[in-house]
Amino acid sequence: MSDAMKSVVFAFAMCLVCGLLLTAASNSFSGLQKKNILLDRRKNILKAAGILDSAKKYTPKAIESLYAGNITIVGVAPDGRIVTGREALAPGGRVLPLYLYADEMGRVREYIIPIESNGLWGKIYGYLALESDGATIAGFTVYKHSETPGLGGEIEKAWFDRNFLGKKIVDQAGNFVSVKIAKGKAKQAVGKDRLVNYVDGISGATLTGSFLTKGLKRVLSEYEPVSLAFRENRLRCRITGDVPACGSTGGSDR
Amino acid sequence: MKSRAIKTLVSPLWGQNPINVQMLGICSALAVTIGLKAAIVMGLSMTFVLSASNTLISLMRKIIPKNIRLIVELAVISTLVILTDEFLRAYFYDISKQLSVFVGLIITNCIVLGRAEGFALSNPPHLAFLDGIGNGLGYGSVLIVVAFIRELFGSGTIFGIHVIPQAFYAAGYENMGFMLLAPAAFIIIGLLVWGGNVLRNRRSG
Repeated sequence: MSDAMKSVVFAFAMCLVCGLLLTAASNSFSGLQKKNILLDRRKNILKAAGILDSAKKYTPKAIESLYAGNITIVGVAPDGRIVTGREALAPGGRVLPLYLYADEMGRVREYIIPIESNGLWGKIYGYLALESDGATIAGFTVYKHSETPGLGGEIEKAWFDRNFLGKKIVDQAGNFVSVKIAKGKAKQAVGKDRLVNYVDGISGATLTGSFLTKGLKRVLSEYEPVSLAFRENRLRCRITGDVPACGSTGGSDR
Repeated sequence: MKSRAIKTLVSPLWGQNPINVQMLGICSALAVTIGLKAAIVMGLSMTFVLSASNTLISLMRKIIPKNIRLIVELAVISTLVILTDEFLRAYFYDISKQLSVFVGLIITNCIVLGRAEGFALSNPPHLAFLDGIGNGLGYGSVLIVVAFIRELFGSGTIFGIHVIPQAFYAAGYENMGFMLLAPAAFIIIGLLVWGGNVLRNRRSG
């Protein structure tokens, strides 16, 4: 066998062995990995809702039970109605997923919107929790992104997420404006009257910030009908056990 | 023979330390040393990849065609790194999220390819294995020292447990935010290099 031939055969055998090994590993680990990812998402929903204490550690079991006890998933129809069960799954309907966080009385305290935004290097996934006034942000988390660690990657850090607390998605007149990431410190970037719509940016990650600003605006606009319903206090939701019962007008409840 | 094995294992821990003396693998040492837990997992992952890749490459050293030597070494290393990454994602999800891209970047860590080229190709498997363990631990030990300092002064914790008494904070003590940034690791590593050189020179001189 010539030297060149030997190299080709060796390289081919090498590829085969490595490929087989990686396929086997990927297959055998994928079940556990999926479970971890689901658990991580639930943890992030709870974190966005402010149910988890960030200083404490939680076992997977504790997270599952907190999630089951506090969070209900429903759908939002294009007109802002909250739909459940068969209607939510109806084909062709453009129903968006929404998570409701209810207190012991079954009243909705917060609603949590899944965020999907473009980033500098890839998609950014997270959750934004809004209070039942339909305007105030109660929490924000990012659970998956491909931003540069140390720069754009800071979006998943607690200090950045805390910035969102108490900010509004409406301006002082009550019109929807979404929430924006400032370039640098919000205090220096915008006037006092608009401060409530801006969070501090990350230095060295201006582009990540502007992508996230656009993504948040797009997602929040999609959910604006339900936010409006919350703002105008038109939603009457009672969650008993796992079953939400929501009317979209105030009349029937009187 | 025996003394050579011991020397192979021990010299990377101090005299030939990959980070402090050979200045390799600094990038990941800056990134993953904010907390002790991540540093230890990174050190162990590195030790596993180094020892396994050294052993495999040493076993194949007589049949690897010289002209595709580097590609073969990289294929072995990347396979091992991806295996480690998948394993961490299945069993240590939180830590793997914290380490993010840096486990994958072990592939490009100069220590691994350096040891494969410089040692495994010209030495028998048992010595190559010990060399991998030694270099992995040498790398890991620096990570742990740096992470200990950064976590203690940056967050006031060790392994996530608060160790700085509340009375200190009441008296006006504050965690050093700077310790949590990458430049802090750079400075700490610089000081370690300095201290190490002073000690080594004193002994030889």
